[in-house]
Amino acid sequence: MTLALPPSARRRAFRLPRKLPAPLLGGGFILLCGLILAVFPSLFAPYDPLAFDYNALMAPPSWAHPFGTDNFGRDVLSRVIHATTIDLQMAVFATIGPFVFGTAIGAVVGYVGGTTEAIFGRIVDAVITFPFLVLVIAIVAVLGPGLGNMYIAVGVVDWVFYARLIAAEVKVQKRLDYADAGRAMGYSPARIIFRHLLPNAITPAMVYLMTDMALAILLGSSLGYLGLGAQPPAAEWGVQIADGKNFMATAWWMSVFPGIAIVIAGLGFSLLGDGLAELMRTKR
Amino acid sequence: MSAAEQMVAAAPALSVRGLSTTFAAANGRRLTAVDNISFDVMPGEVLGLVGESGSGKSITLRSIMRLIHAPGEVTGHVGWQGRDLMALSEREMRKVRGGEIAMIFQEPMTALNPVLPVAVQIEENLRAHTSLDAAGRRKRAIELLDLVGIPAAASRLGDYPHQFSGGMRQRVMIAIGLASNPRLLLADEPTTALDVTIQDQILKLILELRDELAMSVVLVTHDLGVVAATCDRLAVMYAGRIVETGPVGEVFYQPHHPYTRGLLGSVPRSGAERTMLLSIEGTPPGLAAIPPGCAFAPRCGFADAGCTAARPPLEDFSAGHAVACFHHQTVGQQEAVLHG
Repeated sequence: MTLALPPSARRRAFRLPRKLPAPLLGGGFILLCGLILAVFPSLFAPYDPLAFDYNALMAPPSWAHPFGTDNFGRDVLSRVIHATTIDLQMAVFATIGPFVFGTAIGAVVGYVGGTTEAIFGRIVDAVITFPFLVLVIAIVAVLGPGLGNMYIAVGVVDWVFYARLIAAEVKVQKRLDYADAGRAMGYSPARIIFRHLLPNAITPAMVYLMTDMALAILLGSSLGYLGLGAQPPAAEWGVQIADGKNFMATAWWMSVFPGIAIVIAGLGFSLLGDGLAELMRTKR
Repeated sequence: MSAAEQMVAAAPALSVRGLSTTFAAANGRRLTAVDNISFDVMPGEVLGLVGESGSGKSITLRSIMRLIHAPGEVTGHVGWQGRDLMALSEREMRKVRGGEIAMIFQEPMTALNPVLPVAVQIEENLRAHTSLDAAGRRKRAIELLDLVGIPAAASRLGDYPHQFSGGMRQRVMIAIGLASNPRLLLADEPTTALDVTIQDQILKLILELRDELAMSVVLVTHDLGVVAATCDRLAVMYAGRIVETGPVGEVFYQPHHPYTRGLLGSVPRSGAERTMLLSIEGTPPGLAAIPPGCAFAPRCGFADAGCTAARPPLEDFSAGHAVACFHHQTVGQQEAVLHG
């Protein structure tokens, strides 16, 4: 008798379905490319993103500058590539905190129910009464502009959405037999919540996380555009679009290319979320 | 056999006294699902808890384990190894659940956690209730899967519940339940969701394990065939009350409650002459409208005015055979349904 898992069993347990959903592959590919650009921007960017070139101010796209240059003669392509670092970082940092915190709170609230849930419901109502962006902008305005404060502002608001999703799902799961079986086995509430219910309840939150990452990039760009997020001269897509807005008639490339980058990144996260949802569905 | 001898000698393993479970209804009233029931389970004994759907069998088991959800309230006394389970703290109760008293559920399809491999689920019980180390738990998990008759147990440890068939899942459930050598197994219709052939195997398994591990079993079922094949004693429930209890042979041979008689008469039997199946007229009462007096009176052929005026108490009329019926003498003298 062997005490370890036989290799065949282990392989069987963690095998992925043979056909991965197409959106998952597409989204994964886009984000993998983005990740490579974000980690090694200097390898791909032809110029220094902060270097001024007064001989090529607002030069249109050419072989030397495929995306053109901006009003300081900075290469737009290089700036778009370097901005990947900040923008993907925003996608992850702005969402991971709310995801973890909201999930934990939601799981406990969903399990405990009763008065706790009623209080939680009022908090949720209070938060979602404000338009998301307005609330975040207000918080950033109080804390002061910058990326760190932006993460805090998003975290204060965003966890509610995860908590609500998870609480609803845990409420469903806790009525199922296996939850009662766990209680009948004498397991502690913490163990039942986090070991048994949460893994069964987390799928919608993970799918939402992917969508939320796309939204975080848009939000970061919006705040960058308003001057509340990443600060110039750092390259960030929203900041770039804001810089280019005064020159739309004469130098459209300053805003359009960062805009396309935002769209592609958003598409990548959305596809990944869709694919993930499909994958989890087929597993059941 | 030995179970009967033990019964005479030993004190009851589980002693339920005046157990009631009520649920708060919307209009402020309380609905009574389990109404002041009392019964004993002897060491090594298999007690069958029989009744129609909604008669309170499952609620009784869950009440004993204190697994009733929020609007429900349980009162009474559950004696277990010199303690009253109703008076234990939640922490002490967790040691009893799974460690001393195990419970298995009707639906093996939903009672296992779908996202954890079975080995993890067995080892979890061992981690909660024994002091075995990781290697010891793994070894015991294989032993348990072996014990409940899962072929190639060692190679199936990493499998998820959905990789097992219904019967195999129920075996896994039993393996998890038995992991920490409980002294009492509460089985809530463990075979209802299974094929007849599998059903037989699972019941045999439970009886074997009862002998091997010297535990008592409370088997909830609505299937009298199952009771006849497995139980030493039975308690018949109707509308949350126990209406008759006694040794299986005696109750089957000479039921003293009209409801028991009706239940027995409604089961087709092989070997006997072809006779009409008896059926009990009407339907069981809803929780909100339990009739006054004897709850069975409106459906009962023996009932008279006295039956609706007062509730018949559950009283012994011979050793170990009790019935709650004013007319039990008359009912007992009726032609035996088993030999009709």
